[in-house]
Amino acid sequence: MSHLLPAVDGGILVYFVFLNSFYALLLVLAIPEIWEQTRLAEDEDLVRLLQTDAPPPISILVPAYNESATIQASLTAILTLEYRTYEVVVVNDGSTDTTMERLREAFDLYEVPRIHPETVPTMPIGGQYRSRTRPRLLVIDKENGGKADALNAGINAARWPLVIAVDADTLIEPDAMIRLTRPFLLGRNVAAVGGTVRVANGSTVKDGRVLDARVPRRFLPGIQVVEYLRAFLFGRMGWNRMGGNLIISGAFGLFRKDYLLAIGGYRVDSVVEDFDVVVRLHRYLLEQGIPYIVTFVPDPVAWTEVPETGLVLGRQRERWHRGLLLTMWQYQAMLFNPRYGKVGMLAVPFFTLGEALAPLVEVTGYLVTLLGLAFGVIDIPFALLFVLVAWGYGMLLSVWAVLLEEIGFRRYDRWSDLLRLLLYATLENFGYRQRTVWWRLRSFWSALRRGRRWGEMVRKGFA
Amino acid sequence: MSSRHALALVALWQAALFVVLILLILANRWYGVARRSRLRPRRIAVDTAMKNWALDQWPLDPVVKALGALPAAAAVEALVAWSARIAGERWQALAGALQKEPWVQALRDGVPSRQWWTRLQAARLLAIVATPEDVPLLSRLLLDAHPAVHIAAVAALERLDEPSLIATAIDRLATLPSTVQALYASVLRRSRGSVVEALRGRLAQRDDPGLARIAEFAARLDDPALREFLTPLADHPSTEVRVQVARALGGFPHPTSVLALGRLARDATWEVRAQAMRAIGRIADPTGLPVLTAGLRDPVWWVRLRAALGLTRFGVAGRDALLQAERGADPDGRYVARLILGLSPQALTEFAA
Repeated sequence: MSHLLPAVDGGILVYFVFLNSFYALLLVLAIPEIWEQTRLAEDEDLVRLLQTDAPPPISILVPAYNESATIQASLTAILTLEYRTYEVVVVNDGSTDTTMERLREAFDLYEVPRIHPETVPTMPIGGQYRSRTRPRLLVIDKENGGKADALNAGINAARWPLVIAVDADTLIEPDAMIRLTRPFLLGRNVAAVGGTVRVANGSTVKDGRVLDARVPRRFLPGIQVVEYLRAFLFGRMGWNRMGGNLIISGAFGLFRKDYLLAIGGYRVDSVVEDFDVVVRLHRYLLEQGIPYIVTFVPDPVAWTEVPETGLVLGRQRERWHRGLLLTMWQYQAMLFNPRYGKVGMLAVPFFTLGEALAPLVEVTGYLVTLLGLAFGVIDIPFALLFVLVAWGYGMLLSVWAVLLEEIGFRRYDRWSDLLRLLLYATLENFGYRQRTVWWRLRSFWSALRRGRRWGEMVRKGFA
Repeated sequence: MSSRHALALVALWQAALFVVLILLILANRWYGVARRSRLRPRRIAVDTAMKNWALDQWPLDPVVKALGALPAAAAVEALVAWSARIAGERWQALAGALQKEPWVQALRDGVPSRQWWTRLQAARLLAIVATPEDVPLLSRLLLDAHPAVHIAAVAALERLDEPSLIATAIDRLATLPSTVQALYASVLRRSRGSVVEALRGRLAQRDDPGLARIAEFAARLDDPALREFLTPLADHPSTEVRVQVARALGGFPHPTSVLALGRLARDATWEVRAQAMRAIGRIADPTGLPVLTAGLRDPVWWVRLRAALGLTRFGVAGRDALLQAERGADPDGRYVARLILGLSPQALTEFAA
């Protein structure tokens, strides 16, 4: 035991150093990326662009399952975005609540025949509706088949070459679409673009618009603000530079429709269909030798409601991690496969060994440290120092994300919000991080047991 | 050094970095707030001067002076905002008055810079205040390797009708992806005379590798003077060129267009046929009716759909053709006719767009 424990501890230390060095690299790469993006994102250019017919036409796909609390507000906001040519395809995925009735009443729907072929097979469609008050709106009422199936029905019905998948509870900022199309307007070979998703809890929302962005006072949603900043502002920005962006948020991502159709749309048996579709897109485009980029643009913003209770948050995180595990398992052939370039040699290994296995390694680290203490192999000051350094590193990453937010975007105007952000960034590692490790750890078991089932998400609706 | 000492050092370093980051965040916030309040009165001064000058109540000098008091980026931002409200000679007077300003000179000097963001800033400025003396600078910016720079520079053509710049932009346009091309087109459309002249020459060169893009651009202009140059391209060997020609001819209701579209409606490539059906629908000449009716039996769904939508533009005759197809022997024709006849006028308008 006296030889085994230090050996395991040493292994964990090496893993920790490698992983954190990689995070540090992402962080460093995020700096020039944010710098470049903020220079390209001048408001006056957007105003000029909006007056031309250059922005490509877009179909916004909104899958809705039991969204009666938020559907009207978020659709009203989506239907009044500052963009010249777009349509909104809402897919009611067999809701058991009053979502369809809310849609009928709010938008004065009337039935129309189907005019598109079923390129990607989906569950049967009951009816297709247009609105007398909102010509841009198309509503598809179909049998329940899950979010991916609803998105596939939306892709089939979409008439424009670019599609954006947004969640029904997502509030898109008025200029977000024009900002999201910037890589296309710069003439790049874009396969998919992701925008930033921010936490709406605690903010003032009126008519589907966030009027006053606030950092929530409640601990759980407040911590998630920092998590989202970290994930979007340095994780994805760093991957932009590295060329292997694997995540385009399902709540707000723009895709070329022909590529989505070429890969058969979203997989209906995946619990993280947004992650799965991006990995498959990379695989397809690399195998076909098509030049492309999958990129992230930080200034288009969509706001979403995050879970406020540990129970719901735990279910969400467990599902996300289960999806990550299953997806990485599914595409293991890409792991360290030079055929897939940076995606195969960097991104997939990082997401498999760094992200997917991280909770397992972290818990092993805690256990080994405890055992080492019990057997007297490790002394208490060393164990405490080790934990302090590990947590301190997490704190630094979070504070760095807050710094990037401050320098690049500054969406939270008040000093009190900034101080709250810093407080959450500091406290995140004391208790909350360990809870997320537990939730993610549970996903290993549930991946074996439950496979690809979703959990329930309870929404309050925006006040 | 023991591993414990090493860890202690790392912890100390982390603590120091943590404090530095927090201080940096707070200092940055404080600086941002202070800067904003410092700039606010200067921005208001620019707006006041501009408003009074626009109403002819103040001379130009206070405007120039107020702009000079702003940082260069903020001054460009203010100019862009006001450029949409003040047009023509008045704006040219301001552009001329700004030429000698040190901050404008400094930005213009950024054109040959190796840093793209410096060139971008110069392009943004010249896009709104360029004078004929700036033509060489703009030519250079239009050929810039960075897309943001040449896209910003092309906006100058909205104000500067200069044939050499237009020729450079059209040359560049032929190599650009369609979204960027659309942006160029929206700018070039305003200098229609010079642009049409330049396009005629380009459309006559059948072996030009950028011909499809030029034809696409010509379609966007919808200028009748281009019809006679586009029609002969209907039998061009490139599919992409034929697609663009089919699209373009829909904007020219002329017997030769209808004849050419009739040929394109029998093209071997379905994309060409679909565009031809759509264009025939746009023209709605009675001689096109049999072509569209035949299109309802095309083996490709999109061609049948375009043909059926096209028929709805023919009024009663088109509706009769659809009703006949709905009861006809061909199952594909029956299906698409039934779909289109079931659409509301509003949905029809949207789909036919």
